[in-house]
Amino acid sequence: MIVVKDLHKSFGDNEVLCGITEHIRVGEKVVIIGPSGSGKSTFLRCLNLLEVPTSGEIIFDGVPMTDPKTNINEMRQKMGMVFQHFNLFNNLSVLKNMTLAPVRLKRMSKAEAEENAMALLRRVGLADKANAYPSQLSGGQKQRIAIVRALAMKPKVMLFDEPTSALDPEMVGEVLEVMKELADDGMTMVVVTHEMGFAREVATRVLFMDGGGILEQGTPDEIFSHPKEERTQLFLSKIL
Amino acid sequence: MDYYTQWKAMISSGEEVTFWQDFYVKFYQAFIEADRWKQYLSGVGTTLLVTAIALIIGIILGVTVAMLRTAHDQQLPGHRNPLLGVLNAVCSVYTTVIRGTPMMVQLLIMGMVIFASSRNFTAVGALTLGINSGAYVSEIIRGGLMSLDPGQAEAGRSLGLGYLDTMRYIVIPQAFKAVLPALSNEFIILLKDTSLITYIGGKELLYAAQGIYSRTYEAMFPLIGTALIYLALVMVLTWLQGKLERRLRESDRR
Repeated sequence: MIVVKDLHKSFGDNEVLCGITEHIRVGEKVVIIGPSGSGKSTFLRCLNLLEVPTSGEIIFDGVPMTDPKTNINEMRQKMGMVFQHFNLFNNLSVLKNMTLAPVRLKRMSKAEAEENAMALLRRVGLADKANAYPSQLSGGQKQRIAIVRALAMKPKVMLFDEPTSALDPEMVGEVLEVMKELADDGMTMVVVTHEMGFAREVATRVLFMDGGGILEQGTPDEIFSHPKEERTQLFLSKIL
Repeated sequence: MDYYTQWKAMISSGEEVTFWQDFYVKFYQAFIEADRWKQYLSGVGTTLLVTAIALIIGIILGVTVAMLRTAHDQQLPGHRNPLLGVLNAVCSVYTTVIRGTPMMVQLLIMGMVIFASSRNFTAVGALTLGINSGAYVSEIIRGGLMSLDPGQAEAGRSLGLGYLDTMRYIVIPQAFKAVLPALSNEFIILLKDTSLITYIGGKELLYAAQGIYSRTYEAMFPLIGTALIYLALVMVLTWLQGKLERRLRESDRR
């Protein structure tokens, strides 16, 4: 579904990604772990071109994303993204947050979009917050809404950029719960996270990144129980 | 014989008058004699008209310049648009020149050089003020656009919304709220700066006052009156600003 070929990304002289080649298939739940500064988030943000790769190719759904002729806005409609800091639109109510894009991009009528949004809100137990504004919500509620906002576009893949890192510890669970349900529904997911428990339970594949490349990958069991690389062992020994 | 004529005669013949008699005579002269209040009123009308026209020109110019410059600055490396580069350079020259020269000089250049043959001083004045205001408004708005967390725009783009939609529905409404106090400040300054167009012959409030005291040789009442009228107008603007702010704060409810 997403094919990445020799992806490079530099910020000035600082090379953050040095040649990543990867293939993410339909239905996979890929979890990316690694120390900070290893390029995990940059890699994820390159997938929907929030960061423009310096060189290399990204093909999503058979379309070359990196080709300047590709309508990138159209492609992004099929890729949901969830951010570390939620990024709910502060000037809009929860319901508006969820219906703005589907209605504006003519994916649904207003009534349809609202119905869809309410169904999603019920699914995450936040239907009573439909008319609230983001500033009235807790971090966990914001992130659950950010997830369903992305889902409201009916994406084919969901990208998660450290979705629980900015949350109070007691709110991490409610967000991971939503993500697990999503995984059980068969959504293709790419998740950058430090939640090893989630990675172990949900991932079909774990990528360990360090120094701008994928150092090691495998099933959660392979990575967590029998890491081959010394760097992976060191990283895991520090956080587990 | 009414009091005005009577007391005025006493003053001019050098007789002793009370403070209130003197006050009454000067007040009458400044505002009531020969229906002079109508001159102030039409002056206020022109002032408000010029402010409104300058405001509209200023906002249109300011928003356009701010959007162009922000769009130029936010271009992705390697995807630079040459047209945007040229427009950015034009905008940059515009703000530099306007902010770098005194308003009074700009007015005189517009009134006595560029539009020297025009008799419509009020329109020339409004145009000059609008062009001037636009430069400041653009910087205020640019500040607002830059102050916003880039995550807001990123979230919009990640949903597939285009640059303009993201600006229109997400970035601008939030930036507008952030810059409202600074913008109100600019509009208050604009309203008061309309008094400068007197010097190129614009017939606004101060022009009326000057016309009156050059006839009566008594400047205090017309000038204090003018000051009070400006003060009242600014207070109305401030009140409107407060109302608007409370309304925009709706999404801050906690």
